[in-house]
Amino acid sequence: MTRTSLWRALLVMALAVAALAVAGCGDDDDDGGGDGGGEQAAEVRQFPADTTMGKIQNRGEITIGVKYDVPPFGFKNPQTNEVEGFDVDMGRIIARELGVRPRFVEAISDNRIPFLQQGEVDLILSTMTINQERDREIEFSQPYYIARGRILVPQDSDIKGIEDLAGQRVCTALGSTYEETLREEAPDAELRLVDTYSECLELLQNGAIDAISTDDVILTGMIIQDDTLKMVGDELTTEPYGAGIKEGDKQFQSFVSDTLERAQRDGRWEDLYQEWVGQYIDKQENPPTMTLKQALALG
Amino acid sequence: MSELWEVLSEHFPELSSGFWVTVRIVAISFVIAMAVGTAVASLRIAPLKPLNWIGGVYVELFRNTPLLVLLFISFAGLRRAGVPIDAWVAGTASLGLYTAAYVAEALRSGVFAVGRGQIDASLSLGLDYPRTMRYVILPQAFRTVIPHLGSLTIAMIKNSAIIGVSLLALPDLLHQARLVNSRTFATNETFFWAAVGYLILTLLATFAVRRLEARYAIHR
Repeated sequence: MTRTSLWRALLVMALAVAALAVAGCGDDDDDGGGDGGGEQAAEVRQFPADTTMGKIQNRGEITIGVKYDVPPFGFKNPQTNEVEGFDVDMGRIIARELGVRPRFVEAISDNRIPFLQQGEVDLILSTMTINQERDREIEFSQPYYIARGRILVPQDSDIKGIEDLAGQRVCTALGSTYEETLREEAPDAELRLVDTYSECLELLQNGAIDAISTDDVILTGMIIQDDTLKMVGDELTTEPYGAGIKEGDKQFQSFVSDTLERAQRDGRWEDLYQEWVGQYIDKQENPPTMTLKQALALG
Repeated sequence: MSELWEVLSEHFPELSSGFWVTVRIVAISFVIAMAVGTAVASLRIAPLKPLNWIGGVYVELFRNTPLLVLLFISFAGLRRAGVPIDAWVAGTASLGLYTAAYVAEALRSGVFAVGRGQIDASLSLGLDYPRTMRYVILPQAFRTVIPHLGSLTIAMIKNSAIIGVSLLALPDLLHQARLVNSRTFATNETFFWAAVGYLILTLLATFAVRRLEARYAIHR
């Protein structure tokens, strides 16, 4: 190979790598689609530039951490390749209130709080249960959903409740509240801790574990995907979900709480509930009336 | 600074149990890698084309499949196909077979360093091919590639971390570190200690390799 043809070959390769890198950097996260534009221009309240709300408005977009694999709260629709769900739509409500585009990123139970602390996301809406341990690291909004803990097993399982979990292999997410709950309530169960609930589902379906324990809505999402599974057991726990805000940012916390509360009062909450949850589990739920104080008192 | 020691002292049981699980995983995988690697290397240099081909397929398959994909296939994939393989077997087998492909290639290069001359001489003296390999060629080949095998072992120690954070969820050092992290949120401190744990293992491997090199290595 001559020197010029060697340089040419290297140049072509470098350009190819650069082209791939640029293509890869394309935003494949949902950026709010069409409705970010016109409708709210008239009514959006402008916040002072030194508040978090003001800074978000200056940026023109709010970054929200949501789950990507927990239907029906946050999941990527395989056909449209966009993330959607109850949490996602709650995020859109908040974004609309600020008049900005919502940008969604994946937050798993393990990294969502560090993401918030480091400023990778402005807000977390990812089926996050309010508890005192987390409250030390971040601020919570008022509860926007109450889930109950249950157990999911295959159709032919003998497990009827938490008492039957002794000696069984139980899966839940690393860093979730269920890890603690299971250690306390079922100390003889063999825990398998994984990154995401979709991995738990895979393990249950291929027989590597005997049960999954987490919020009933997440379990419902699994039943939607695989109806040979059944939910058993009494309500293990009450899990009030709250939005996560950076520690110390009381202004943003009240803004988010107020926005969520308004949605609960004016019927938007009920619409979202019906669309994402109600139609699958045939239940009628009312918007939560629990306060943040009460939620923290639960644990 | 005190946070650093606090994390270690309060969570020492979790972290040390993870450390020992990693040691077990690495030990089992090492044995598999060396045994299978030697066998595959022998296939690759055999004078029979079909055997070469089988060895070649093995090496290309396991070198070109990312370890994580291998873990998924060996655990989730096999289980769905009806094979009741458990996480320990799937994890150590995957890591062992994966590393074996690299060990085989290293040994093959060691055999070339020994030279065709010795193979021909040994065969002409009346030793059959398997005995030539066992008593003449492979011992020399091993001694030539000790440093290379050392690198592969260190790589294997680090790769073992993938098992704990995959679907297999074996409670190894990294898995336990993530557990502690999820409780304390002291990310920097927790993963510092995890790194120290892996460093202990890799340094042990390095020292072992240096000792072996000093005693046995043939430098060509």
